[in-house]
Amino acid sequence: MEKLTREEVLHVAHLARIKVDEEEIEKYQVELKQLLNDVDKIKEVKGYDDERMIAPWQADTTPREDIAGEMLNPKEVLKNAPKHSGNYIEVPIVISESEGA
Amino acid sequence: MKYLDKTIEEIHNALKTKEIKPIDLVEEAFERIEKNKDLNAYITLNKEEALKKAKSLEEKEVGDNLLFGLPIAVKDNIVTKDLKTTCASHILDNFIPIYNATVVEKLEQNDMIIIGKTNMDEFAMGSSSRTSYFGAPKNPWNKEKISGGSSGGSATTIAARDVLFALGTDTGGSIRQPASYTGIVGMKPTYGRVSRYGLIAFASSLDQIGPMTRNVYENALLLNAIVGHDDKDLTSANKEKEDFTRLINKDISGMKIALPSYFMSDIVTEEIRNEVEKAKKVLEENGATVDIIDMKYLDKAVTLYQIIAMGEASSNLARFDGIRYGFSVENPKNIDDLYLETRKIGFGKEVKRRIMVGSYLLSGENAKIYYNKALSIRDDMKKEFDKVFADYDLIIGPTTTTTAYNLTDPMDDPSKSFMDDVLVIPVNMAGLPGLSLPIGFGKSHMPIGLHIIGNSFEEAKIYQLASFLEKELNLDLDSRKGDNNV
Repeated sequence: MEKLTREEVLHVAHLARIKVDEEEIEKYQVELKQLLNDVDKIKEVKGYDDERMIAPWQADTTPREDIAGEMLNPKEVLKNAPKHSGNYIEVPIVISESEGA
Repeated sequence: MKYLDKTIEEIHNALKTKEIKPIDLVEEAFERIEKNKDLNAYITLNKEEALKKAKSLEEKEVGDNLLFGLPIAVKDNIVTKDLKTTCASHILDNFIPIYNATVVEKLEQNDMIIIGKTNMDEFAMGSSSRTSYFGAPKNPWNKEKISGGSSGGSATTIAARDVLFALGTDTGGSIRQPASYTGIVGMKPTYGRVSRYGLIAFASSLDQIGPMTRNVYENALLLNAIVGHDDKDLTSANKEKEDFTRLINKDISGMKIALPSYFMSDIVTEEIRNEVEKAKKVLEENGATVDIIDMKYLDKAVTLYQIIAMGEASSNLARFDGIRYGFSVENPKNIDDLYLETRKIGFGKEVKRRIMVGSYLLSGENAKIYYNKALSIRDDMKKEFDKVFADYDLIIGPTTTTTAYNLTDPMDDPSKSFMDDVLVIPVNMAGLPGLSLPIGFGKSHMPIGLHIIGNSFEEAKIYQLASFLEKELNLDLDSRKGDNNV
């Protein structure tokens, strides 16, 4: 059975910001390889033109009138945040003191 | 009391003459849902609010809107203010939206009553609704079978006749395929027809909301209610208002229809090809022509879909980080740990696989090799459809390659859920409208659907053909098999 290497799985998991356990790595080595083999079929397609379709409908990008509309209420917005304090959402420390200025 | 089995005109007249009130319809719908609880069609019921809304409608004039006072089920990836919206995922299982999707606002404006949020594949990723965190819905025709997916709960509740109306969403067949498996009518409108504002994005260039109903006329009525330009969605199309019922039951003689040979190849079971042949004959006997044609790229659609849908999903689902809303792990060591652990626990297997592959496909040089190339071929595929529509009114084919399979069938093949949608994915690639119409039954009486594809913004023509076949075939599409008592 074709497989990705352990390192390849860990690389892809890092790109996706998803932690994978030791016991999951083996399963992903096979499953992700299968999906990557599927998408590799695109390499066989020849004779197309280079024009790309990003979306089926071309958006009208004219700016709208600059009129103030209704806004979400910060209290409402914060209701769903796992941790918040005042008008701020709380997160763990991003830059530690040693890394900081 | 069995008002929900009557025609929409009969129900409307009963409301108008005050023989019944909206609350009677709501109560009847909840009785039915309760009786069909084992079908697992719903993730969240909206009973209290629905009853309240029905009561408030008593103050209002019934008027001429046939949708007035009617209960509707909404797929659980469409946000509803103050009503839990989970996307069938652990990562959103406590999420209470603070605003309504534009389609939900439109249902409100039409005085429809939201009865609950329907079950689905997690983040609409899957083809059998079995990736739902809340377990799969069951097919009302046979409870050992899948209802399809990802709009499996919406298909189930319509097929079980709990309500007349449901909204589904379709990224790669997720309205049409479950509609086919459950013997109902499902329409994916043209990309841009219906605002995506408030639809939790899976693949933004493919996603579209659409109606799922027991018949063609009611489908067109619901589409009338949900379309329209929306400033809040940059991909929303600015089109003149039209009545999608206007061509229903109109003569189809002279219509030119194409049937791509790929859709009748041996990837489709014989019993399904036979039913499509029968439908073809009915059309020909009534003055339409049906030509078998060859189309390039149809066999490449799944590959394009895997690249575009997984790529866009990996980017869209980056917003689930445990910070602003949704599930979040307790006491993470640092910010990285918060992301990694939250996403590991919050997402299910199928979703994680797709995010990982999608992230890889968009990383560095891969974006050119895979994503950009897929967009180029996608453009060619659209041009291929344009060529066909220069000569033909509509394209037909089967909706699915098989009838609904068993809920217990293995789920360990990561390619399987994509292949289930091989016949419906090209329509999302080209942004076209497509509808699945029940046209017969296979062995063990499982429903078979015909896929009718129209040119962009020609939904009315699809309804014309569909209503004609519906009338000619006159199938008994009630899954309750004689057990009509609520």
